[in-house]
Amino acid sequence: MGDFVGNIMLGFGVALTPINLGFAFVGCLVGTLVGVLPGIGPVATVAMLLPLTFYLEPLSGLIMLAGIFYGAQYGGSTTAILVNMPGETSSVVTCIDGHQMARNGRAGAALTVAALGSFFAGTVATLLIALFSPPLARIGQSFGAPEYFSLMVLGLIAAVVLAHGSITKAVAMVLLGLLLGLVGTDGQTGGARFTFGAIILSDGIGFVPLAIGVFGLGEVIANLISPQHRRDLLTSKVSNMWLTRDEFRQSWPAVLRGTAIGSVLGVLPGGGATLSAFAGYVLEKKVARDPSRFGKGAIEGVAGPESANNAGAQTSFIPMLTLGIPGNAVMALMIGALTIHGIQPGPQVMTERPTLFWGMVASMWIGNLMLVVINLPLIGMWVQLLKVPYRMLYLAILLFCAIGVYTLNNNAFEVILTAVFGVLGYVLIRLECEPAPMLLGFILGPLMEENLRRAMRISSGDPMIFVERPISLGLLIAAGLLLLVVALPAIRGKREEVFKEG
Amino acid sequence: MSSTGLPSQRSSALSLLRRKNVLAGLLFIVVAAIGLWASRDYPIGTATRMGTGYVPRLLCWILLALGVLVFLQGLVRNAVTLEPSPPIRRAIILVPASLLAFALAIGPLGVVVAIVLLVVVGAFAGKDSRPVEVVAAAVVLIVLTLVIFVWGIGLPIPVWPDP
Repeated sequence: MGDFVGNIMLGFGVALTPINLGFAFVGCLVGTLVGVLPGIGPVATVAMLLPLTFYLEPLSGLIMLAGIFYGAQYGGSTTAILVNMPGETSSVVTCIDGHQMARNGRAGAALTVAALGSFFAGTVATLLIALFSPPLARIGQSFGAPEYFSLMVLGLIAAVVLAHGSITKAVAMVLLGLLLGLVGTDGQTGGARFTFGAIILSDGIGFVPLAIGVFGLGEVIANLISPQHRRDLLTSKVSNMWLTRDEFRQSWPAVLRGTAIGSVLGVLPGGGATLSAFAGYVLEKKVARDPSRFGKGAIEGVAGPESANNAGAQTSFIPMLTLGIPGNAVMALMIGALTIHGIQPGPQVMTERPTLFWGMVASMWIGNLMLVVINLPLIGMWVQLLKVPYRMLYLAILLFCAIGVYTLNNNAFEVILTAVFGVLGYVLIRLECEPAPMLLGFILGPLMEENLRRAMRISSGDPMIFVERPISLGLLIAAGLLLLVVALPAIRGKREEVFKEG
Repeated sequence: MSSTGLPSQRSSALSLLRRKNVLAGLLFIVVAAIGLWASRDYPIGTATRMGTGYVPRLLCWILLALGVLVFLQGLVRNAVTLEPSPPIRRAIILVPASLLAFALAIGPLGVVVAIVLLVVVGAFAGKDSRPVEVVAAAVVLIVLTLVIFVWGIGLPIPVWPDP
């Protein structure tokens, strides 16, 4: 316990310096700014703004990046409530009751409950991170190459299981990502792979062009070709932010439930904000005394999923920080960012760079507090921003994509690569192939190959090593069970139901 | 994305090609085939000492199998067809083109010209761009870029054309 307090103090010690507070604020502000804009989700936002953070100290850079992530996450809810257009998938369910509340003149209450619920969930989730990271990292440190390989298999399978739509397609997307991750020079043998003779590809494909192309540009193309639903901005002033006594009584249990379910689902590989929000909504509907209120502006329908998605977004940092395994696309980007800062993500980060680790944990709580401050009083400003028409907005998005990629290495070729991945992203959207598993595969590909090679060298080529080691076997069994379970018709129906809820 | 099936359509070869899973399967098959072809000369090595080609070729074969599976699912199952093609498709060319223009211009011509090119080419990708707004967007974006990236962070970006 003394350890716990000491660690937290250490974290706040570095996170509370004026400069890091400043970066947390700027991150939250910029993240909210981009997150409020419809048609650009947190993955694209983080990818686009990532290069900005590479010029900072690692800790400041990560603090700002985490701020951007929460901001983007939170901004999406504002859009969902006021415009009935989810800024991102994790706020799809917020649209249902949040926008109805706005139509009933309770936009202020919806925004307040979303902000305070998120803050509560974020606080709990931060505490969970601080409590569970050290033991998890200790487990991680005992892992050898076979265990790591099996863990990554489990992570990828879980990501597939939790993806929308066809499982076969999601597995194929993982494979596609793994293959893209192999492009370049083989670190072990020095041989060139899939470079097609182009020297420019010998360093491999950067994850920034891939992520910005597929998630950012692909969305822009899709939005231009088939414009999304009409925007339904409530121009009436958002007033009366306070909850009534009844609304408060209805929402606080929903906040508790949402926080609990989100915290658990966030840790799961493949989990995170979106799954948590959907599950939170389904749960609220299940426990409600009168489920028919849902869809007509039930405040629990905002409080539950909004708390859940924030808790999930936050606890999804746990596997990334302690094991170096990204559970979702944003965490994959965080891993990429750490690597660019010269930090190899994994269990050793906590012991080797304690200030970095605990500073980041502390900054999470600070970021959550800042979001409340940024969002509630400044809501009028965000409403103004929503009035900027998309025909101007996308030009700015295009430029930020281009300049973000270019400034990374002052390399024009990567901008061209981004354009190519933009087309790929659009094709994937049209064919309903979810790109998130591909990004996970892309990030994990080289790591998996390295651990596979190491494991096979240990066993002199005997693949049985993966089932002879108990931890590795357990992880593989878990992965197999997951696949088996989703293949069962009954569960498959449920899984589709959860994703269809929006 | 909601997908509307077209039940009355005859299942000619052409309409099969409108099925999302058929197309997705073909995409995976083509990528796997290109991968297998490109890696045909990579040394495979042994399981103990994996060569350059071991993992890539393994992955390509699995992807090929999955692609065939997705393709067959698309043929057999009740099909999710592609939405009718929207009338304006130029964005798929012009959006990447705007980035291409930016990439080619920024080195020799500097970031100001590159932004103008990106915004102008990009503006044609939308269907209701208005000239005044495009000019305004270009000006605002140039100022923002110069303030944030060039003067703020101090990145070594070429601003004006190389004399």
